Amino acid sequence: MKCYLVKDLMVPISEYATVPEAATLFEAVLALEEAQEQYQQSRYSHRAVLILDKNKRVIGKLSQMDFLCALEPRDADLDQIRKFNQFGFTRKAVALQQEEYLKKSPPKLDVYSKAAKLKVTDFMQRPSEGEYVDENTSVDMTLHQLTAGSNLSLLVTRGKEIVGVLRLVDVFAAVFHAMKESETQLLDGTT
Amino acid sequence: MKELVKLFDRIIQRVNINLRELEFDVNPIVNKLIPTAQMTKFYAFYGITPHHPLNFVFKHSNLSGSYFLGRCRVTNSLLYKSDIRGDELKKNGDLFQYQGFNIPVSQDEEIHIDDSFLIKTLVHNFSHDPETLERFFIRDTVSTHYANIHGSPSAGCFMGPFSTVDLTTMRDCVIGAYAYVQAGEISHLNVDPGTVWVRQPGVFNFMYRYPRGQLNDYIYFSDGPPRGVFMDFVEDRKEAFQRVFEVVNIENQVAVPGSASLDRFAVIKPKTSIGENVLVAQRAYLQNSTLGKGANAQENCYIINSHLRGNNVTAHGAKIIDADMGNDVFVGFNSFLRGRPDARLTIGKESIVMPHTIIDIRKPMMVPPGTLVWGLVRNAEELKTNSMGLKDFSKIDNRICKGNLLFEGSGSSFVTAFKERIHHILEANGAFYNGNINRGHAQRNQNISFNTIQPYPEGEKEGMYPTIIIEP
Repeated sequence: MKCYLVKDLMVPISEYATVPEAATLFEAVLALEEAQEQYQQSRYSHRAVLILDKNKRVIGKLSQMDFLCALEPRDADLDQIRKFNQFGFTRKAVALQQEEYLKKSPPKLDVYSKAAKLKVTDFMQRPSEGEYVDENTSVDMTLHQLTAGSNLSLLVTRGKEIVGVLRLVDVFAAVFHAMKESETQLLDGTT
Repeated sequence: MKELVKLFDRIIQRVNINLRELEFDVNPIVNKLIPTAQMTKFYAFYGITPHHPLNFVFKHSNLSGSYFLGRCRVTNSLLYKSDIRGDELKKNGDLFQYQGFNIPVSQDEEIHIDDSFLIKTLVHNFSHDPETLERFFIRDTVSTHYANIHGSPSAGCFMGPFSTVDLTTMRDCVIGAYAYVQAGEISHLNVDPGTVWVRQPGVFNFMYRYPRGQLNDYIYFSDGPPRGVFMDFVEDRKEAFQRVFEVVNIENQVAVPGSASLDRFAVIKPKTSIGENVLVAQRAYLQNSTLGKGANAQENCYIINSHLRGNNVTAHGAKIIDADMGNDVFVGFNSFLRGRPDARLTIGKESIVMPHTIIDIRKPMMVPPGTLVWGLVRNAEELKTNSMGLKDFSKIDNRICKGNLLFEGSGSSFVTAFKERIHHILEANGAFYNGNINRGHAQRNQNISFNTIQPYPEGEKEGMYPTIIIEP
């Protein structure tokens, strides 16, 4: 495979959707939308928003999944039901119990309006130690970090600074093209 | 009493270390639950019969008011008014069946209790862990009022009041008040109060949760002693037990057939009738009730103003008040079935009342024969939600959600497993004894002698029992 470095494939932080830590979920979604519009002109699609502190340092990431989780109804009973997989129940069984419970609960009409005002910091994921990678690391080396942690992206560092985001989709594309190139060369050689 | 306090601290620390992952601190919960002064007051006692092994080793422990039968070793532990019943332990040469394996038992099984604090807890049955067949261990464990450790080795666990762990090895777990677990093997789990969970991996999985808040009326446990209907109920009858424990020779107040057994430490109030092959265990309470042939009342059971027609299993801690039970009705651990004098509860024959079921009615109610009942039932509406005919339940082959019950797997295997177990319990209790064969606890426990043992009366070791080894 062509020897890519992380910095060759990363999305620079300046082109990524970001919001300050005081932002609401709605503001985060707007930031994502804005970044998507810019995507029409650039090669990047955006699936997450980075959360920055006062010093513009990245303190967390809000993914599409985190956003949807924030919309899910939440109370102590539902939390308890969602723990059922610990007790050996399948996802289907947990969903069935949740559905039954929600059927009996009063309808929550203003769910979107309420969720829009929630603080983004309550739903963001704080990056763990294994989610950082230096910009000069080879992509080969980074593959394991992505797969072992089942990460959809890694934060790219230059010294102490976060300079970009390495996304699974870009790594996959690079690896796939390299594989295709290598197979083509092999076929050309044999014919 | 310095030694006793030191021992308490040691146990709490060991349990907390095991439960650190669950961030559970036992100390504030049990710190003042039983004042140490109370733990010096009572003698311990053990049973001797020609039918049970006799082998006890007690070291550096307090055994206040506790009862022992069979083979048991207690080290660095506090046992307060607990029953350690080793009359179903495996014997050298037995074959233990597990997942198609027949594993030979290489020596007589023994209950080992180390570094644990058991309060009014029942320990019974035998280890169902294939990895530890000869040792039924309970270590670094705190259990509280009326908990049942039934065939369940335990390491690093906390059990709330009226909780039961049945045929399950547990490590580093918290079992909430009135939770019932029968799941084979569990670790690092925090089981919420009022959870009733029966699982056979790959075959079935049954879980009921009591509605939040509604269980609190019956049992509430936060800091300080447990409170609620269950505690009030047993506290109201405490005095009757004090009498049977204080008197050395106690006269039977009721005629007991030759094939039945009435424990000397049971309370029998007037107008009680005991049939053939009946087993009444210690700390059971009977009043104005009839126990038909082959019925039984196990430890901490209360049967009041009720009629049990025959072959009824009333499992450890179950209570039946103002009720009529048909033949072969099974009432699981710690169930609380309360009719009223003017609103009797009738349960039809061959029904199964799941462990930890509460039926508490104000109007007469009839549970049809062959019904499976679970959870909280206070009226006909709740009965509809929390019951199902055993035949219908057997037809489940995927999953069902009914009220707060979630079931997944084979209903037929679930019902069969229960029926087989009920049959085994009746057999073990001697319900099928015919004068020659099928002897069980009812016949073997008839002539039992009790010896008492006492702690140091004062000084640094006040409350601690000296090292005692008891052998045949």
